[in-house]
Amino acid sequence: MKSKLLQLNNCSWSVSALGEQALLIKPKQDDVSLQLIHESCRIIGESSIPGVVDIIPAYESIAIIYDRVLNDLGSEIDILSNAFRHISAENHSPQKHVIPVCYELGLDWEEVENYTGMEKARIIQIHLAGAYTVAMMGFLPGFLYLSGLNEEIACPRKQEPRSRIPTGAVGIGGKQTGVYSLESPGGWQIIGRTPLSFFDARKDPPTEVRAGNQVVFERITEKEFFKLKDRET
Amino acid sequence: MGSLEVLDGGLLTTIQDGGRFGYRQYGVPVSGAMDDYAYRLANQLVGNASDLPVLEMTLNGGRYRFNSDAVIAMTGADMHPKINGEDISLNTSLEIKSGDVISFDYCQTGCRSYLAIRGQLDIKEVLGSCSTYLTGKFGGFEGRALREGDVLSWTESEGSSIPERVPEDRFPYYSSKVELRILEGPEWSWLSQHQKEQFLNTEFDVSPDSNRMGIRLKGDSIKPTDHQMVSGPVIPGTIQLPENGRPIIIMKDGQAVGGYPRIAKIADADLWRAGQLWSGVQLTFRKINREEANKLSAFQKNLLYSE
Repeated sequence: MKSKLLQLNNCSWSVSALGEQALLIKPKQDDVSLQLIHESCRIIGESSIPGVVDIIPAYESIAIIYDRVLNDLGSEIDILSNAFRHISAENHSPQKHVIPVCYELGLDWEEVENYTGMEKARIIQIHLAGAYTVAMMGFLPGFLYLSGLNEEIACPRKQEPRSRIPTGAVGIGGKQTGVYSLESPGGWQIIGRTPLSFFDARKDPPTEVRAGNQVVFERITEKEFFKLKDRET
Repeated sequence: MGSLEVLDGGLLTTIQDGGRFGYRQYGVPVSGAMDDYAYRLANQLVGNASDLPVLEMTLNGGRYRFNSDAVIAMTGADMHPKINGEDISLNTSLEIKSGDVISFDYCQTGCRSYLAIRGQLDIKEVLGSCSTYLTGKFGGFEGRALREGDVLSWTESEGSSIPERVPEDRFPYYSSKVELRILEGPEWSWLSQHQKEQFLNTEFDVSPDSNRMGIRLKGDSIKPTDHQMVSGPVIPGTIQLPENGRPIIIMKDGQAVGGYPRIAKIADADLWRAGQLWSGVQLTFRKINREEANKLSAFQKNLLYSE
């Protein structure tokens, strides 16, 4: 596939097509940080590039989706380069969110304890001590993929995915932790539940959380969970 | 205001439009009509703007009673539509009288039909679109499929003209043997020559567990690649190759990011055909280049919009 270099956020990116109406851009360096991806997404978003309808951040790449067919990648790269020239690449300090979690409402404690060889109290302590970054929101609306999990409590996904995971479930999937924003099927190990909702289609934007934001967890009791849950709904 | 009452919502009838754009960064799929060609044709036939919401029916459309006169058109898979028991034609505009009952049966080829009503359906936009997103339970009619007792209303429109006739060569055609043209995906080069040939020479069956999120294929499985993939963006039409070697085509309600190699992508000009795939279809792929794909897109646009 045709490839040409693009300069963005003090980094060279390769550009290729993702079908007729989308570009896939990837930093040309070995260690791609999530911060580079998210900061660059912000820059692309603020660049008001004609015809761009969606920007999808992922771990090591970004898709830019247009409402038109891209006939010539070379000229699209020139348009992008020009747009970026007017946007500052200075870092914004990421927004922080505190997510209350009731660990008593976890569903898979036995499996997680067995796998990690640690007791529940210790696992909770480690989970609470972590500082996490919202890596991306995919899979489902508002599903938060959080990177930064202490590897000591990493845990493989369930052999047999659950057909129903409740809203707000907090889980561990491999080296990530995350929050299920909607009731859905899923294979992560559920260790707790938050009463907060991270997705509301009636609001625009539907969530206050963005890829690149920082997250810490705060422990709450079951009583507090239901009190907060009532207030949410 | 015109209105109709749902007597039977069929197997899965939802409201869909041109799609929900601008929210994929939050994990919200684009949604919208699975067969974009038939969908736009339906609107065109009743003199609507091509991206207004319509009813998308799956396999069997159900029954509906009109409480007012209306101009309607049906396109897509042939579900043998009838008005008060009398057969009616697809791909043409029809006048409905208040009290008329329109009914559908199972279709043989294709799986989705579109019913457009002249005017604007009274559906509230959610995040910029009227499309129903079933998993998220939002959009369309209360975020769900239509069912008995639901009443849909619309504002009648004046002005724009109804085409007297659309030439037959613009009608979509569905078959139980389908060839879809594809472009190379970002991970196409991960496949060995043998795997590539296998992919392009296999006649796949469409699995019955396909839906608006994705179309799953059966057939001789392809040896998976040894490379490990870091989750990357996917769009409708992206063909992923999971570890079991059976390709999945991401469709309109599909996720924004996926973790399997994106070996190919259905050409935009053929994506509407993919939206009609159902169990029993024999599917093959043919690789084309970008230039050809862009030409096909332009040709299709002309076909749909030229007078």
